[in-house]
Amino acid sequence: MMAAPIYLDYCATTPCDPRVVQGMLPHFTSRFGNAASRDHSFGWMAKEAVEQAREQVAALVQAGPQQIVFTSGATEAINLALKGLAEACPHKGKHIITAKTEHRAVLDTCSWLEEKGFSITLLDVDADGCVRPEDVAQAIRKDTLCVALMYANNETGVIHPVREIGALAKKHNVYFVCDATQAAGKIPVSVVEDHIDLMAFSAHKLYGPMGAGALYVSNVRHILPQQHGGAHERSRRSGTLNTPGIVGFGLAADICRQEMAADAKRLRQLRNRLERELQDLVPGTAVNGNGPRLPHVSNMLFPGIDSEQLLLAVSARLALSRGSACSGLVQQPSHVLMAMGLTREETLRAVRISLGRFTTADEINTAVAVLSSAVRELQQINAQV
Amino acid sequence: MKELQQIIQAFEQACLKNQKTALATVVHVEGSSYRGPGARMLITETGMLTGAISGGCLEGDALRKALAVMMEGKPMLATYDTSDEDDAVIGVGLGCSGIIRVLIEPVVPEHASNPVALLQQVVQKREPSVLLTFFSLHNKWAEQQGTRLLLKADGTMLQAAPLPAAAMPDAAAAFENKATAFIEYPGQLSAFVEYITPPLALVVAGAGNDVLPLVQMAAVLGWDVTLVDGRPNYASTRRFPGCRLVVADPAAALQNLEVDDQTAVVLMTHNYNYDKALLKSLLQLPVHYIGMLGPKKKLARMQAELEEEGMAFSQEIAARVYSPVGLDIGADTAEEIALAVLAEIKAVFAGRKGGSLRHATGSIHERNTEIVAKE
Repeated sequence: MMAAPIYLDYCATTPCDPRVVQGMLPHFTSRFGNAASRDHSFGWMAKEAVEQAREQVAALVQAGPQQIVFTSGATEAINLALKGLAEACPHKGKHIITAKTEHRAVLDTCSWLEEKGFSITLLDVDADGCVRPEDVAQAIRKDTLCVALMYANNETGVIHPVREIGALAKKHNVYFVCDATQAAGKIPVSVVEDHIDLMAFSAHKLYGPMGAGALYVSNVRHILPQQHGGAHERSRRSGTLNTPGIVGFGLAADICRQEMAADAKRLRQLRNRLERELQDLVPGTAVNGNGPRLPHVSNMLFPGIDSEQLLLAVSARLALSRGSACSGLVQQPSHVLMAMGLTREETLRAVRISLGRFTTADEINTAVAVLSSAVRELQQINAQV
Repeated sequence: MKELQQIIQAFEQACLKNQKTALATVVHVEGSSYRGPGARMLITETGMLTGAISGGCLEGDALRKALAVMMEGKPMLATYDTSDEDDAVIGVGLGCSGIIRVLIEPVVPEHASNPVALLQQVVQKREPSVLLTFFSLHNKWAEQQGTRLLLKADGTMLQAAPLPAAAMPDAAAAFENKATAFIEYPGQLSAFVEYITPPLALVVAGAGNDVLPLVQMAAVLGWDVTLVDGRPNYASTRRFPGCRLVVADPAAALQNLEVDDQTAVVLMTHNYNYDKALLKSLLQLPVHYIGMLGPKKKLARMQAELEEEGMAFSQEIAARVYSPVGLDIGADTAEEIALAVLAEIKAVFAGRKGGSLRHATGSIHERNTEIVAKE
């Protein structure tokens, strides 16, 4: 087997931190109990482990432990938030405000609600990829149930003015649902200061395992359960708890809380250098998204190439991602970049590079060299065709 | 065969650039598919594709699997069920319904008997070949999978690894039956025993302008083309680049030609005596297809003269002569006539009549893909 490629797709998923894995392992074997078993020590120990994780996860976003509902991941948390809120507040109106650049988990759930009679306002973003608070204010109606906007974008890393949006929502007495999947554990997130009512995030984006996520719920009365059968998680989400996953989530959150400032500082330098050097080496290269951005994400536009072609060409050395999703035979242009005003053709030249805790300066050097030479080579090939 | 040549060429180029490659081979098909067993595609580590395993639906996914195979350094069997309309990989609208099994194996240039080296032997000499490609229906990452054995009619043999004991006799049987087979051996391994005939060879007598489209179209099909004419200013590499040229009078021309049972000859010199002299000699050779430009009257006159010269024109002999040449498609121009001639040759060697498929009953491809289990 050849050496693994350099992983620069931390926005898709992160490797588990080895410290997290160590902490999880006993929960597969000796400490395997069901947290809902109330009559023996195996259950008690499992429950203790889950509750400790709940505290760790809550602390990461400055929430109270009783406000954390464990789910299978962010997508489930978003579904629970939006559908649970819609069901719990029939009196409050049937209007939801979201944005064109949201993740599919939010957009598809909103479309589903639209079929059930909700009306959805899809806000535009500016060329930098940012939602303007004044647009949010303008869109709020009497029957607005909630504003559903992400903390930071998964394709560009652009950070929304969350605090302003939260304050606006509070002022107009509408709920603020926030998808913080990319932001939690990477930058300081405070559900209190940001006035967030419901917030989804996931373990596997912050060096924890896949299959564990959380929904922060500021007040239990805000949502109705979407999954029944055992009244786990204080009746908000039934189903046996994924104890090893939740323990891992807790440990990962705890490590992030302590280390994210240092990680962010280091990664911001590496990311900025990567962008600078690639722009120097490949004339015409542009960075998508401007203003406040996550420190570890870069979305770049290379001239004269097709991103799929580029990513496959470098796949033996580098693991990167396209901004866009591919469905079946037809490559769909990125809805995020399209919303930012890029043409369809431009979106097909975009590449997302996301760094993380285990990224080294050497790896960035290699990435710059491999990417720049691959782009130049493909530019030549494409020019001949 | 043209596909194999292109794959070999692409492999050599990849080697020069020190790039890793993988070979994808359709090893089995149940139901219908665009390409059948034996379709091949070479994938380089930079994502370049040469050849094809489908009409374009599977290539994108196979490419990613091939990149994974190169990284793992192990062969892998990919199974595509095109009857599943909801399949996210293939997408809807395929319209076929079959199960296609594609073996994707890494090619290690340092190994003397790597899969491409075996393919090289297949195309090297105009001799039938038998190629054995092993796959496992039980373990898609089974290490014993791969293109492992080549045999040629002249006795050439290339073997990549130890084989099941019965494999060698099964390969010999394929030569005897002139047919491809699928065999499952004990111990979870199956073989695609592929009988490969050399590509069609086309000998064209005549180097006039009407021959140009015929030669060009035959090249597109990947056929071996030889041009025979007595006039050096017509039969020149300038006019016919990439074509084997024999400049000689009829008697000498045939001595310079190697014809086998995969060779078609077309007489279009527009010179009665040159055509006649060639026809006379050709009738004494084991050529299955002799096409001749010209009306029925021309052939009748030639036949009468040849009989006068003492040649017996038996029914068996007459059946090999196709004149007027070409399928009846209303061809008029040189290009259209070329199309009619090539279509007729293809049909004759495939044992088909050459009508519209919509009037045909049964399946389009005559493929027997039953997997026979061996003790």
